[in-house]
Amino acid sequence: MNPVQRFFRRYIFSTIGILALFLVVNLLLVLTVLTAGYMSGTDNGLSVRSVSSHVTEQGGVWTADDTALALLQEHDAWAMLLDESGTVVWEQGLPEELPRSYTSAQVASFSRWYLQDYPVKVWSREDGALMVVGFAPDTLVKYYFSMEKPSLLMFLMGSIVVFVCNLLLMIFLMLRNARRVEKAMSPILQGIQDLSRGSYQSLDERGELAEINAGLNRAGDYLMRKDNTRAEWIRGVSHDIRTPLSMVLGYASELEDDDALPTEARQQAGMIRRQGERLKSLVDDLNLTTKLEYALKPIRREAVDLVEIGRQAVSEVLNSGLPERYEIAFSEAHPGRAARIEGDAALLRRMLDNLIRNSIVHNPQGCRISVTVSVEDGRCTCTVTDDGTGMGAARLEALNREADVPSTQGGEHGLGLKLVRQIVKAHGGTVRFRQATPQGLKVSIVFSTSHDE
Amino acid sequence: MEHKILLVDDDRDLLEMLCSIFRRAGYTELVTASSGQEALQAWREQQPALIVLDVMMPGMDGFEVLREIRRTSHVPVLMLTARGEAEDRIEGLEIGADDYLPKPFLPKELLLRVQAILHRTYPEPNRTVVLAASTVDLERAEVWKNGERLPLTAKELQLFQKLYENAGRIVTTGILCEAICGEFWQGYESTLSTHIRHLREKIEENPSKPVSLVTAKGLGYRLNLKGAKS
Repeated sequence: MNPVQRFFRRYIFSTIGILALFLVVNLLLVLTVLTAGYMSGTDNGLSVRSVSSHVTEQGGVWTADDTALALLQEHDAWAMLLDESGTVVWEQGLPEELPRSYTSAQVASFSRWYLQDYPVKVWSREDGALMVVGFAPDTLVKYYFSMEKPSLLMFLMGSIVVFVCNLLLMIFLMLRNARRVEKAMSPILQGIQDLSRGSYQSLDERGELAEINAGLNRAGDYLMRKDNTRAEWIRGVSHDIRTPLSMVLGYASELEDDDALPTEARQQAGMIRRQGERLKSLVDDLNLTTKLEYALKPIRREAVDLVEIGRQAVSEVLNSGLPERYEIAFSEAHPGRAARIEGDAALLRRMLDNLIRNSIVHNPQGCRISVTVSVEDGRCTCTVTDDGTGMGAARLEALNREADVPSTQGGEHGLGLKLVRQIVKAHGGTVRFRQATPQGLKVSIVFSTSHDE
Repeated sequence: MEHKILLVDDDRDLLEMLCSIFRRAGYTELVTASSGQEALQAWREQQPALIVLDVMMPGMDGFEVLREIRRTSHVPVLMLTARGEAEDRIEGLEIGADDYLPKPFLPKELLLRVQAILHRTYPEPNRTVVLAASTVDLERAEVWKNGERLPLTAKELQLFQKLYENAGRIVTTGILCEAICGEFWQGYESTLSTHIRHLREKIEENPSKPVSLVTAKGLGYRLNLKGAKS
């Protein structure tokens, strides 16, 4: 999963988390409200039952005690007691306009709704009488709810289904929106990543984010143009140098081999030839490093045997004539085992050649160089070791942290090691510079083997 | 040397230097041309044995000249160019160039390549290779040792020719295996060892202590000609 996908997955998970939190908080709030409502009662708190318990009959006369009167007064309520025939046998604060006798139909009506706009509560006493407590109009609201049992179950189930459907719809819409944002943003984020790697592809300048894409395209074009101009300039200069340099090398070699010239003149011609060769090598290095740096052309990838490449690199150094103060040896850690990797044979030979020549150039007193190739656990390791003077710790650290070696400017190692790093990087490998034991430099390069190994 | 060489480059100074290099190396018959058209005319009229051809020339470039030549002739051509790109090299070789040398070059390298092409294209009759203990006749594929004639097998001859082309230089195991087995040579190292042993038995006085066909430890083999420094 790339960083862009990871970002959007995290975005979706956080949105789902927010949704879940929202639901939990709402459920808690509903429960809190319900509990609070239950705790505080459903109406103004006056219980008709308690009023009724304070009204008693003594010798055919109905009387209420002080508690009942106090309760009614406190809630600004009135009360009446009906006997079984519907006649008011006791009353307290009963409004004048209300009748003193009720039919059973009237009783059935007000017990559920209102008694002439007065909200009332009723309580059927054990002695058969009916206690009625009334309140001032608009102080209490009465609702009547009834439903058949199967319908109630269906209602509850329906509510749950509607809730779940809403939830799923919400998640679907949220995912769809996230996907759309991801689709629109992915090319932009990918473009920024490509730009950082120097391999930018133009984005489509349509849709809602067209302006951002266009801006990114402009930035990409600008950087690519700048890189190409620089690379073209280097290539042009190196091209123009080649023919004059051929003349310098050609005539210097002629003079060096001319027996008719005095020895000193031939030695001087030899010096011109050697310096010319250094320039030739520099031009070649400059061209190659530019090509790799700006990724002007992709490297050729084919199955190559690192053992054979090591043999060829070492043989080439020996064939080109190595002074006797140097010794070079090639060995395989696992003889007979092929070290096949996907890569460009010429570049890999160049990489080893640069490392071997680095050891030669920096140890003018002579040294022993050993090149080893090993294959283990799907990895090919190529090691170039010398027993020369080696490098200082600071220099090793700089090379290992891939600090950009300032090439020719005071760079005692020239472009050689920079090229090694570039070639290793182009092949997806790693390179490590270390102090050899007991002295010298040890360079280890690791590549992954081909899949068919 | 009797081979006529045609040198083509639009830079007259460079052309002059090329003439000087070849003259010093003993080539007496030299023809020069400084454009593509001149090169074609000189090739038709002079019938050179080899052409050293610059790629980048105004008007008709070296690739076009080579295409025109290849329509009717197989004359060997070595391309010289200031462009060192691998793609240019491949294009030149695909059109039919025999070799490709990027500028700047050393005179020795140019001469060695020209000699190698001439050897390949115009093999000397009765080519024999003189070694410390024997003489190898490449035409007849046989070795003469102590007055005795020993025939070489086809593989031994291929192997010997590869070593002879690079006489005095180490030739790696992979390159030798490729010479006798083709592109897919992996796993043929032991077969190569067998051929080397048989070859030593035929060309060396003492095969267990070879002096002509020596081993470069871990790398490959080197053929030393008689009188050459090993």
